[in-house]
Amino acid sequence: MTPVRTWRPLLALAAGLGCASGAAAQACGEALGPGTSLVENSGYVVAYRTEPAPVAVGQHFAVAFAVCPKGGAAAPQSVRVDAHMPAHKHGMNYRATITRGPDATYRAEGLLFHMPGRWDLTFDIAARNTTQRLAHAVEVR
Amino acid sequence: MKRWKRIGTTVAVAAVLVTAAAVAAQAAGDAPRHVEFTPAEVAAILALGPPPAPPRDPTNRVSGQPAAIAFGARLFSSLSLSSTGTVSCATCHDPARAFADGEAQAHGEGPGERNTPTLLGVAGQRWFGWDGAQDNLWAQSLRPLLDKTEMGGSLSHVARRVRDDPALRASYEAAFGRAPPSRDEVVAVDVGKALAAYVETLPFPRSTFDDFRDAMARGDRAAMARYPLLAQRGLAIFVGSGNCTMCHGGPRLSHGEFHDVGVPFFVAPGRVDPGRHGGIEKLTASRYNLLGEFNDDPTRATAMSTRHVAAAHRNFGEFRVPSLRNVARTAPYMHDGSLPTLRAVVRHYSNLDENRLHADGERILRPLGLDKYDVDALVAFLESLSPPLPPSR
Ligand code: HEC
Ligand code: HEC
Ligand SMILES: [Cu+2]
Repeated sequence: MTPVRTWRPLLALAAGLGCASGAAAQACGEALGPGTSLVENSGYVVAYRTEPAPVAVGQHFAVAFAVCPKGGAAAPQSVRVDAHMPAHKHGMNYRATITRGPDATYRAEGLLFHMPGRWDLTFDIAARNTTQRLAHAVEVR
Repeated sequence: MKRWKRIGTTVAVAAVLVTAAAVAAQAAGDAPRHVEFTPAEVAAILALGPPPAPPRDPTNRVSGQPAAIAFGARLFSSLSLSSTGTVSCATCHDPARAFADGEAQAHGEGPGERNTPTLLGVAGQRWFGWDGAQDNLWAQSLRPLLDKTEMGGSLSHVARRVRDDPALRASYEAAFGRAPPSRDEVVAVDVGKALAAYVETLPFPRSTFDDFRDAMARGDRAAMARYPLLAQRGLAIFVGSGNCTMCHGGPRLSHGEFHDVGVPFFVAPGRVDPGRHGGIEKLTASRYNLLGEFNDDPTRATAMSTRHVAAAHRNFGEFRVPSLRNVARTAPYMHDGSLPTLRAVVRHYSNLDENRLHADGERILRPLGLDKYDVDALVAFLESLSPPLPPSR
């Protein structure tokens, strides 16, 4: 992994959409339909939905998501989705592939959580030579 | 660390409940009949079943077809497929020994380095082999035919046997609806697919634990009480303080991925079994993986895992988490057969040598420090994952 400048991740518990605020956040990911979770930091809002939801241990799942710059942040040049278990210090055994859809939406495929517990789903958004990481905690049973 | 402590507390609470229930029962002049599980434990226990039924395999066009299953059964015990005519699948996967061999390490046409796993319930896994070098059952069934230490054959030897032996040839034609084609590799892969169609029909046997788990799902306390109390206590450790379901969870009692639990991986002085690290290399190099031409699923949706699998340094010395269903009948244990009994396995987890875990590995396992009673309970639980033994006369 190349060293990237990361902002302190904003972690919100999977239970709620509580962290999102403002009209920009509300509008982000409308194209994805209902049931999205929102993660944001000072530059971006990410709205995402897992397929299936909730995620089952040991089964592949996909993440449909949208990335919405806010407050004049640059549009993303590239986006990566990954996940790790902070308590166990390991990542996934799979590398997600990402395809781009219409309206700043993306689809990440091939993810798999191989243990129950807390996983941090991460979105690395690269724009103008910096990468920002937005992370969302997901409790998997 | 924090998580560990938190789980510890939950279990302590559960243990108190257990003891309280037992004491209350004894005070009432009654043998204690069941452990009171916490809601979280109940959820974890229900997730351990029911035993998965073998799915039809879309990567194998003869999966589920009676003529292919019959051909596969014939091939399974056919000595003539091996180069010396002395070894068949059933030599190591002996139906009388739960389709394993009871040996620490397999021995076919030469000495092997790994333990022979059972084939009961094997269909539907994401990965096959201790290192997951195969992503499908027909490639896994073809592999031993070509392996020098197992059956020592070759694609052309296998194809020739099928073409020249009238009985095998007739079975091939019945299963595949055509004469064996001229390309040896195609015939050999078809042999793998017929073997897979047969192996798929070997189900997990229904266990004493399954009866308990289903009774719990129905809320049938009378039926639950028939499950030995010691096994119930072992189950509480399994889903609780033992943290076993972290890896051995779900209806297979395995999440199907790879870990290092501190089993030494030296196979000879200075030489190691690379485990998953080598498995990923073999998988990606294989002509018979699900991305290749022999996958009968034209969509390749079945190749999801293979397309996305990522190698990491920690894979070195990791092995696939085995299913624990029927585990009491498949001694000895671990990828190298180095632990002779379930008691030895439980002691291994109890006294785990953390220095043996890779320095750059994950932080999951801690020595459990179980007392003798806990060890007995966990062993009783693991034994209950098999069908009851027939009553001795
Ligand atoms: C010499 C003993 C031996 C013979 C003969 C043999 N096997 Fe195996 N089998 C093994 C061993 C050892 C493994 C584990 C291999 C590994 O991890 O690389 C295994 C693994 C398997 C697996 C994967 C099980 C799992 O849990 O992933 C299947 C399926 C299988 N064998 C089927 C067959 C078939 C079909 C044949 C006959 C064509 C056969 N085997 C012949 C010893 C043998
Ligand atoms: C970190 C994941 C992990 C945890 C936690 C774990 N196991 Fe395992 N288990 C494995 C792996 C991986 C193997 C195979 C290791 C090898 O062969 O080198 C294994 C092997 C076994 C085996 C041998 C099965 C066979 O067929 O050879 C038994 C029995 C077992 N574990 C029981 C348990 C029990 C009981 C617990 C809880 C005290 C537990 N495991 C916790 C990953 C785990
Ligand atoms: Cu983990």
